[in-house]
Amino acid sequence: MKKMKKAGVSLGILMIALIGFAFMPVPQKITVKGSDTMVILAQKWAEVYMKSHQETIIQVTGGGSGTGISALINGSTDICNSSRPMKQSEMDKLKDRYASLGIEIPCAKDGVTIFLNSSNPVKELTLKQLSNIFSGKTKNWKEVGGPDADIKLYGRENSSGTYVFFKDNVVRTDYAASCQTLPGTAAVVNAVSKDKYGIGYGGAAYAAGVKHCAVKKDDKSTAYVANAETVKAGQYPITRYLYMYLRNRPTGEIKAYIDWILSPEGQKLVTEIGYFPVK
Amino acid sequence: MKKNMNALAYISLITASLLFSFPVMAQKQVDDLKKEQDTIKENATTLRDRIGGVEERLATAEGDLAKLTKIKISGYIQAQWQHFEAASSYPDNIFQVRRARIKFQYEPVQGVVFVLQPDFQPGNITIKDAYAIAQDPWLKTFSLWAGKFNRPNYEVEYSSSSREVPERSRVIRAIYPDERAIGAKLEIAPPQIPLKIQLAIFNGNDGLTITDANGNNINAQNTDFDNYKDIMGRVTYAFKLGNIGGLTIGAHGYYGKIKANSLDVLNSDYTYNKTLDNVGQSVKKNWVGFEAQLYFDFLGGLALKGEYIFGVNSTPGYFGSSTVVSPMTSVLKNDTLTLATLTTKTTTGRPAISKNFNGYYVYLIKNIGKRNQVAVRFDYYNPNTKLAAGQIGAAKWDGSSSKMVNNFTYAGTDPVIATNSQTKTVVNNLLKSGTGDIAYSTWTFAYTYFFDDNIKFMISYEIPINRKSGTVDANGNGNVTSNYTVNNIASVYDYSNWIKQNTLTVRMQVKF
Repeated sequence: MKKMKKAGVSLGILMIALIGFAFMPVPQKITVKGSDTMVILAQKWAEVYMKSHQETIIQVTGGGSGTGISALINGSTDICNSSRPMKQSEMDKLKDRYASLGIEIPCAKDGVTIFLNSSNPVKELTLKQLSNIFSGKTKNWKEVGGPDADIKLYGRENSSGTYVFFKDNVVRTDYAASCQTLPGTAAVVNAVSKDKYGIGYGGAAYAAGVKHCAVKKDDKSTAYVANAETVKAGQYPITRYLYMYLRNRPTGEIKAYIDWILSPEGQKLVTEIGYFPVK
Repeated sequence: MKKNMNALAYISLITASLLFSFPVMAQKQVDDLKKEQDTIKENATTLRDRIGGVEERLATAEGDLAKLTKIKISGYIQAQWQHFEAASSYPDNIFQVRRARIKFQYEPVQGVVFVLQPDFQPGNITIKDAYAIAQDPWLKTFSLWAGKFNRPNYEVEYSSSSREVPERSRVIRAIYPDERAIGAKLEIAPPQIPLKIQLAIFNGNDGLTITDANGNNINAQNTDFDNYKDIMGRVTYAFKLGNIGGLTIGAHGYYGKIKANSLDVLNSDYTYNKTLDNVGQSVKKNWVGFEAQLYFDFLGGLALKGEYIFGVNSTPGYFGSSTVVSPMTSVLKNDTLTLATLTTKTTTGRPAISKNFNGYYVYLIKNIGKRNQVAVRFDYYNPNTKLAAGQIGAAKWDGSSSKMVNNFTYAGTDPVIATNSQTKTVVNNLLKSGTGDIAYSTWTFAYTYFFDDNIKFMISYEIPINRKSGTVDANGNGNVTSNYTVNNIASVYDYSNWIKQNTLTVRMQVKF
């Protein structure tokens, strides 16, 4: 009889434990993938958010905007970071697969900065000159007011949103074959800082240890360096939004996270990292 | 004392030798260091040269690799098992490779694309796509297509690998057989505006089966059947409905002609329309369609897509012939003996016919989570809107006509012998309405499970419903029928009833 009682008590405890376990908060995992330009910002957002929301695990990886959008389409990420708007062909894939156009959330602004080596005497370039340089038509610094030396080009890989944005908005044709592609803007900055005759492009948040080149729309315009004021005022000619994309309207923990990113607290981190808030 | 002197001498000698040897040693060390420095310098130079060489090779390799990235290869295989419920189907269940396609795309420079897509069927390889695209490098708005590619229509251009049900709707399969056509197309798609305009010109007869009197297809693949070229146009505009979805609306039109291949042309209701001067003249193929696709974010993706098409589609006719020689006849009249040879020539042909048609399809698609999708489609196709259900089987045209030609030759004087070679031509130009005029409504239900990005499984059930057609006699037999034989047992479909033709499809698709 005693044994029966003991067994009953044990079973009861086990059942309570199992029920309790079932109702225990399960950590919610959010995966974020995409733009290398945004990876530091996304990591910072995740880090700060997870401190105050310990039930949420946010996993951030880069790989480029194109990679992120592909991951969103194939279902391997919840949120895609992209430094360029989604292309029509990508939207069509999303429509075909999920019967959805996706949700676009602009979450920061960025000025694509032109990096020059600190010793380079060139201070400003027009959009046309940049196009000629990165398409390989202009090969020598002498042609744009610099020393008599070959221009060394550094750029991003074609999966990068920065690569696509810069190509579509500045180069407007194919990149020169001599343009060395590097994995991440940090690598571009590093390469230019070591190469006297190097020139590269990337997000403003990475521009440490190199010189910023002022950019003007054309010969008659004023040249501006990318900073908070010029980007916000729309004076700096190479600005863009940074986006987050989702398959469907966010719900639950993902919605809470995105709401937080767009809140003053989340946007404050945007400024801290070196980008510009959308609000 | 002597001992002390000796010790002093030794010390002096050692000191002197040390003093002399230090500069020598120092000089040696300097020489060694110099040598080492030279070696390091030499090694550094060698290394720099080597790195330079590697960099050069890397640049070459990168260049080669960049060329490879201009080639894109994609494809998919659809393997399926189908069960047919139609009594005429034998075998009633089959395994099949429905589609096995590899698409090769080469973009040597931005805006210039070559596409080649063969379809590999067991025992048969066909080219589905073979075209080149050149886009304007300035506005990136205009692109010129040439070759064999999809006709501009929503359901045609929507890839079979993405479609939510196994096959396209009946109306699209009827008016755009084989989906692709050979020709040229100008596409206008401004990058910043969700507007797309397509203007195309095609041979127009691609995928059509045009038969002669013996039932042979005279519309050989990849060559045109006539001199007439068909024009197509399509316009679409996409609206964004905030963050809840989007709506795309559009219209397309087809303006074409096809060689009549017959002198007689009938109206849609099988009445006589006109007689042409020669068989090379044309009959028309004109229609328009209106489409809309609504995407709505309601607990995941939801799509409602549809299109309505109506117009006139024509089928060419043909000529046939057979000859019968009758025995010689002789008649004696008014001292003239007439000897006649009668030849009867019968031509069995079919007139061309222009039929008014209409059709539509509506899809309702709901995605559930990341992996599940359910779809329902209702589609309707009426190949002849001018015939009521009861007129099918009765409406017909018999254009029989005969013409006698006499060719007398006279010989002799008394009596005169007249010899006649008499020819009679009978044109039997028959066409009767029948199963080809029956309207069909079709329900298709499908469930798709996306195993991952590359693999999906689909189960689908299709229910075609024929319009009950023809007239029924006192015994309950209709006049619109078709015969079939299964295992040497002959049977008849009577279309005054619903003919069960449902199909179950279980499909696996692998895409890469």
